[in-house]
Amino acid sequence: MKRNAMTVVIGTVLIVIFALLLFVFQVRQSEVAVVTTFGRPTRNLTEPGAYCKWPWPVEKVYKFDQRVQNFEDRFSQNLTADNNNLLVMVYVGWKITDAKAFFPKFAGGSTLAAQSMLESMLRSAKSAVVGKHPLADFVNADAKQLKFNAIENEIEQAVQSQLQTNNCGIGIAFLGIKKLGLPENVTQTVFQRMTSERQILISQFEFEGEAEAQKIRSAAERQAAETIANADAAATRIRGEGEAEAAKVLPVFQQNPELENFLLRIGALQQSLNQRATLIFDERTPPFDLFQHLPTNAPSR
Amino acid sequence: MERNVQKNGLVNLVAAVMIFIAAFVVTCFVNSLAGQGCSIFLGLGALVAFAGWFQMRLEENERLEKLEVEELARAKGESTLFTSKDAEVFPAQRAREQFEKYFVPGFGVLLFLLEAGGAWLLWRWIAKPANGVAPDRAMPSLALFGIFALLLFLLGRFSVTIARLENHRLLRPSASFLLAGAYLCFVTALGIAGVKVDFPKVDFYLARALCVLLGLMAAEMLGTLLLEIYRPRVKGRVARPVYDSRLVGLLAQPESLFTTAAQALDYQFGFKVSETWFFQLLQKNLPLLVLAQLVVLLLSTCVVFIDAGEQAVLERFGRPVGVLEPGAHFKLPWPADRIYLYRTDQIQTFDIGFTPDAQSEQAKTILWSVSHSKEENFLVANREPVTIRNENTDTNDTLKAPPVSLITVSIPVQFQITNVLAWAYTNAEPTNLLQDLATREVVHYLAGVDLNDVMSHMRLEAARDLRLQIQAAVDEYHLGAKIIFVGLQDIHPPVKVAGDYEKVVGAEQTKLAKILDARAMAIRTNALAGARAFTMTNVADATRQRLSVSALASAALFTNQIPAFAAAPSVYRQRKYFQAFADATAGARKYILLVTNTQDVVIFDLEDKIREDLLNLNVPSSPNHSSP
Repeated sequence: MKRNAMTVVIGTVLIVIFALLLFVFQVRQSEVAVVTTFGRPTRNLTEPGAYCKWPWPVEKVYKFDQRVQNFEDRFSQNLTADNNNLLVMVYVGWKITDAKAFFPKFAGGSTLAAQSMLESMLRSAKSAVVGKHPLADFVNADAKQLKFNAIENEIEQAVQSQLQTNNCGIGIAFLGIKKLGLPENVTQTVFQRMTSERQILISQFEFEGEAEAQKIRSAAERQAAETIANADAAATRIRGEGEAEAAKVLPVFQQNPELENFLLRIGALQQSLNQRATLIFDERTPPFDLFQHLPTNAPSR
Repeated sequence: MERNVQKNGLVNLVAAVMIFIAAFVVTCFVNSLAGQGCSIFLGLGALVAFAGWFQMRLEENERLEKLEVEELARAKGESTLFTSKDAEVFPAQRAREQFEKYFVPGFGVLLFLLEAGGAWLLWRWIAKPANGVAPDRAMPSLALFGIFALLLFLLGRFSVTIARLENHRLLRPSASFLLAGAYLCFVTALGIAGVKVDFPKVDFYLARALCVLLGLMAAEMLGTLLLEIYRPRVKGRVARPVYDSRLVGLLAQPESLFTTAAQALDYQFGFKVSETWFFQLLQKNLPLLVLAQLVVLLLSTCVVFIDAGEQAVLERFGRPVGVLEPGAHFKLPWPADRIYLYRTDQIQTFDIGFTPDAQSEQAKTILWSVSHSKEENFLVANREPVTIRNENTDTNDTLKAPPVSLITVSIPVQFQITNVLAWAYTNAEPTNLLQDLATREVVHYLAGVDLNDVMSHMRLEAARDLRLQIQAAVDEYHLGAKIIFVGLQDIHPPVKVAGDYEKVVGAEQTKLAKILDARAMAIRTNALAGARAFTMTNVADATRQRLSVSALASAALFTNQIPAFAAAPSVYRQRKYFQAFADATAGARKYILLVTNTQDVVIFDLEDKIREDLLNLNVPSSPNHSSP
């Protein structure tokens, strides 16, 4: 009997728990709920707390996250106003502004379906806005020329107006450009250009070095030549001084010019024969004239 | 009483079929993996209930047939007609025997196939990644499975109890399945509840456990079928039906383990352990103990411990009522109060521009020209646009390279949660939003700077500006986070062109080397020129000195020669002449022409020889050759 009573207590507790689960539900601070009665939305609950409902299938509760939700679209290719191909990816923050309007439009309030629709709108708006701006509005060495904020605002306005027109129950909280890129083919040309730019710098450095080296060498040679020229001049001057010193003794030789003349000739003869020389003498040249009276095999005349 | 058994069997059958269908529908509705396993089990239970009910009907018919035969025998006396044992006389008995002989083993084989096939299919099905409980349908499904569990439990308990009575043995298989089904429905409800308390994997693991259970049931059925072949048939002894699973019976009545354990203990200890007060208390109060456990479990949700470095948002019926700091806190039990933990003091990090690669991370040296992670290319501005010809394309079109360059950056961003309420309730995925905002600021910044500037002197400035800009964006969107650090730890041209950038550095070094070489050469040239100049002036000095001294010496010599010349001019002249002649011509080749008795023609080749050769060697003249 006691055991049966315990079973009844446990059963009752379980029934109470299950009944509570069936009749009561909570809405969190971060949530908004739509209650449908036989499929028709009847209540829109935006405040957090515990609420009662009839169990399924009479009433059904659909809860949605009312915080800002993020998603990023695909990295898609667009043509800029100056005919450049540009890949752009944007991120979007969106939130449910009217759950009652949102719920029936997206298959039981599917956020995935809402994001899918939002992505379609976003891609269309993005292509349109990118097509109105030149590449320099996206990438520019002068940061003041960039129009990032304006472009983002234009895309956001375009999507927002479409959402309001269709009364989807959602709104854009923010939108930003997350990524910029170039198609693979164009990326290769940019790589080639970057390589060419580096090649210019390489040539510049190489020939600047060569030119600088040549200048240095030339200056050094000029300086060396100057030094040698100066030295040569000094040497000539010094030699002249020596000759002048030597000339001071010439009056001594003037005492007997005949002897000096003879000595100079002898000196000249000695100097001229210092090199390899071939001398041809006949028998009359002293001292070979000693051969004149020697017996020979010459025929008698 | 016997009619009641059949009625109970029918009730079990109807309940099993209806709850099986309902459970299957709810399972499809909520997409619960454990629910699928539970549905398979309930379906098997319905089949077993049907087999049991059918066998009950056959036994009941046999019993009625025997009663009728006995009644007739009593009314008409002994007759050869009714004493016959021919099967035609007892068609109901014959039908029951045929049923037990052929249908029951066949049904056992069918059960084995269904159990094994169900286990295999379910195992494969739950491995698919897309499967999982739909969170928005969890609550009604949870409640419905709870109701199924309750209904099956009440009916199962009742059936199990009356199955212990005599001649009610055929009620036991279906009763066990119903009771075990109740427990499995409860387990399924727990799996669905796991999704609501952020443990979605519970459903998956329970489904795996149910697969194992179905596999064990199949193995048991196979074993039972094999043993059935060799089972000794003793006349008059009632056999246990093949489809009466002992495993399911144990699952339905775990308290029977107490009996088994008590018997084992009694045998081991030699006295009636099962009759001790403790054992009796444990056996009688098991439901109460289970209930107490549940109460303790519920009470345990009233205390929460927050670890250091964490904060928790406390919600009461979904409404935030406070932020809990590290330490112990009391709260209302689940589901009234719930807490959500956040790592607020901990510095968290995410990366922009690269995805760390475990293999590349181990490299000791990081080079521009070697990829060290999965890197992204960012667009940066370029001051000097150049149009070049694309050599890779087949066409002769000239592709215009846009006035941009590409750069690879690795930027770790560190942040801390400063306002946990803003972090929790502003955005559904605040970490992702923070990454988006930071990436946007990096893209924006790089799009407005020159490649060479940001790679060189603007690095520190860029890191500081980026941190301020990301913080401003975070504040604008009220994320409740503080950006602690933004590091430009790696910023370089893409790997494909990095080698050319290194060549530029090489060319710059070559330039410096050439300049230094030229300077060295200049130093050498100037030094040699200086030395040569020094030599020249010294030689000139020596010449001057030589000229001066030589002149004086010559003058002195001449002064001394004048008296000698004056004394004997011709002799002195001849003497000097021949002295000088001998000295001067000592090394010269001399030809002296004398008159001979032949008319000789002497030809002199006075050309200079280009180079020395053997003919120029001075060979000592032979004594046999005389000069001409």
